[in-house]
Amino acid sequence: MNVLFFPGADSLVLGFATLLGLYMAANIGANDLANAMGTSVGSGALTMRQAVLAAMVFDLAGAVLAGGHVTNTIRQGMINPSLLAGSPEKLLLGMFAALLAAGIWVHIATHFGLPVSTTHSIVGAVVGFGILAVGFGGVSCGKVGAIALSWVISPLAGAIIGAAIYYLIQKKILSSDSPYRAAQNYAPWLLCMVFAVIVLSVIFKGLKNLHLHLGFGSALLIALPLSLAAGFGGKVFLSKLGGVGCRWIRGDEEEKVECVFGYLQIMTACYVAFAHGANDVANAVGPLAAIYSVVKTQTVAMQVEVPIWMLALGGAAVSLGLLFFGARVMQTIGKRITEITPVRGFSAEFGAATTILVCSRLGLPVSTTHVLVGSVVGVGFMRGMGVLDLRVIRNIISSWFITLPFTIALSMVLYKLFVFFLLS
Amino acid sequence: MRSTFMYLFVKSPFENLKRHADKVSECARMFSQAVACHIDKKCEEFDDLTDQVAKLESEADAIKRNIRGHMPRGILMPVDKFQFFMYLREQDKVLDAVEDALYWLSYRPQGVEDQVGEDLKFLVGKVVPAIENLSPLVEMATHFFKRKYKQKRVEIKSLIREIRRIENEADTLERELIHKIFTQIKDPLQVYFLIRLVETIGSIADHAQNASDMMRAMVST
Repeated sequence: MNVLFFPGADSLVLGFATLLGLYMAANIGANDLANAMGTSVGSGALTMRQAVLAAMVFDLAGAVLAGGHVTNTIRQGMINPSLLAGSPEKLLLGMFAALLAAGIWVHIATHFGLPVSTTHSIVGAVVGFGILAVGFGGVSCGKVGAIALSWVISPLAGAIIGAAIYYLIQKKILSSDSPYRAAQNYAPWLLCMVFAVIVLSVIFKGLKNLHLHLGFGSALLIALPLSLAAGFGGKVFLSKLGGVGCRWIRGDEEEKVECVFGYLQIMTACYVAFAHGANDVANAVGPLAAIYSVVKTQTVAMQVEVPIWMLALGGAAVSLGLLFFGARVMQTIGKRITEITPVRGFSAEFGAATTILVCSRLGLPVSTTHVLVGSVVGVGFMRGMGVLDLRVIRNIISSWFITLPFTIALSMVLYKLFVFFLLS
Repeated sequence: MRSTFMYLFVKSPFENLKRHADKVSECARMFSQAVACHIDKKCEEFDDLTDQVAKLESEADAIKRNIRGHMPRGILMPVDKFQFFMYLREQDKVLDAVEDALYWLSYRPQGVEDQVGEDLKFLVGKVVPAIENLSPLVEMATHFFKRKYKQKRVEIKSLIREIRRIENEADTLERELIHKIFTQIKDPLQVYFLIRLVETIGSIADHAQNASDMMRAMVST
């Protein structure tokens, strides 16, 4: 490997990259995760403290247990690293440029209140340096195309799932003559579904990080009884045990049903945090993992797992970002979104988290916030939300068109500068 | 702070609709006081009450403008926006009609013929509950659109039926009273004054019913 400008410079780059990666992760925690958890605070399903705690725990769990795929996509899925095999330092500087470019863009955009996505920034930045480093031929058009497509499809998928869930709840529970009894009957099945998706995404090759490989069949074999057990547990909790469940509520049927969905929403809130960890932590950690791998092996490694401690570090940074900077965001959101009831929050969060988790399984980095916006609007189209300002959608779409060119260009410029000054 | 998600949520116009309905209810109370006082001819505070109604009307107007001014294109509501505006318009017309009736009364400070005084008070007493029901109607609807429970919808429908029943009775009363005016009162000026008064009072209930019909359309499934 060609040495950088001076000996030990690569370690310096790694140090800076780590700081940058942690900054990005903290930023993701302060914004995306705060958005995702704000819905549960708004509906009153969780208090601020509970929400922060749940988010920290489950984000970390999501990052460690199901976060590998997206990290790999960003690290080596979009550009063909074998083309850089002869000059690993280019990958090192490129990934550093990408991380820096994305960080700068997110910082600027946040300052001006633009609805940009950290995910999109990172993807754009990696593509940007890739074009310079390996040429257009080395950028995997199929993968990048799939990612771009997923940005359009994922909010739609969130909308469709959220709308479908809300429609079912409305038809089967809210419009029934005895909503509480209906809720007691159907809630365990909803619980079952949430568990099935989580368990499947964790074990169906998701435990790759723990070096456990399971096929679809065996994954299903484990997921099915587990989720059925969870559903049964929920049923017992809601109906049999005296004092717990929602029987202690003195109010009318409505209050009791809202209470049932309050419990369900606590679960989907954790589900959202888990999905967020699986998808978004990768954004910050992906480039960092590539840099680390180069510094450690001095080669462009093809098949090296992302070290689990790195995912954990990213998850921890996201959690701390939420704790220190996101709490205020969450409080503002929670106060502003009073129109969200547990039923609505459950539907929207379920739609969003399922979509995000499926996308992370496919190694597609998507924007948590955009998917959440999609699922809220989906529930809204079922006439299940308060008043929504759909102009936000227009802003989101325009943010795609601003983010990509800007991050691609910035990362190109930074990469050129780094190569010019640091590569001897 | 990144605001995408937060700015998706807009304040519900139903809050303001409730405030508007409360103004209407308040007017209804003053209206019946003012009419009773005018007919009994020992009235000191009629002008005062009329002024207060006018003040309430202009406040309600401001609320109405505020609602309309904050509903740009691209807003997604749990109800049809057109129906919502129609409801607001009818609820506002209730107030206009109350104000019209009071102004009309004030043009004849000497009061009305004794034969129809009690009938008029009775008619007003019939009409006022229809107006007073609008505020609870909006409150129930706000609750329903937030949570969508079937039971609340049933309650709303029964309240709408109640308003329709009141309007029906007021209508019958209005026709009987007009008939009485034509047969018993000979002074053409009085006849004109009374007929128009009765019609204006009757139109209050009509608008209340139109509003509740719009609400029925909003809660339809």
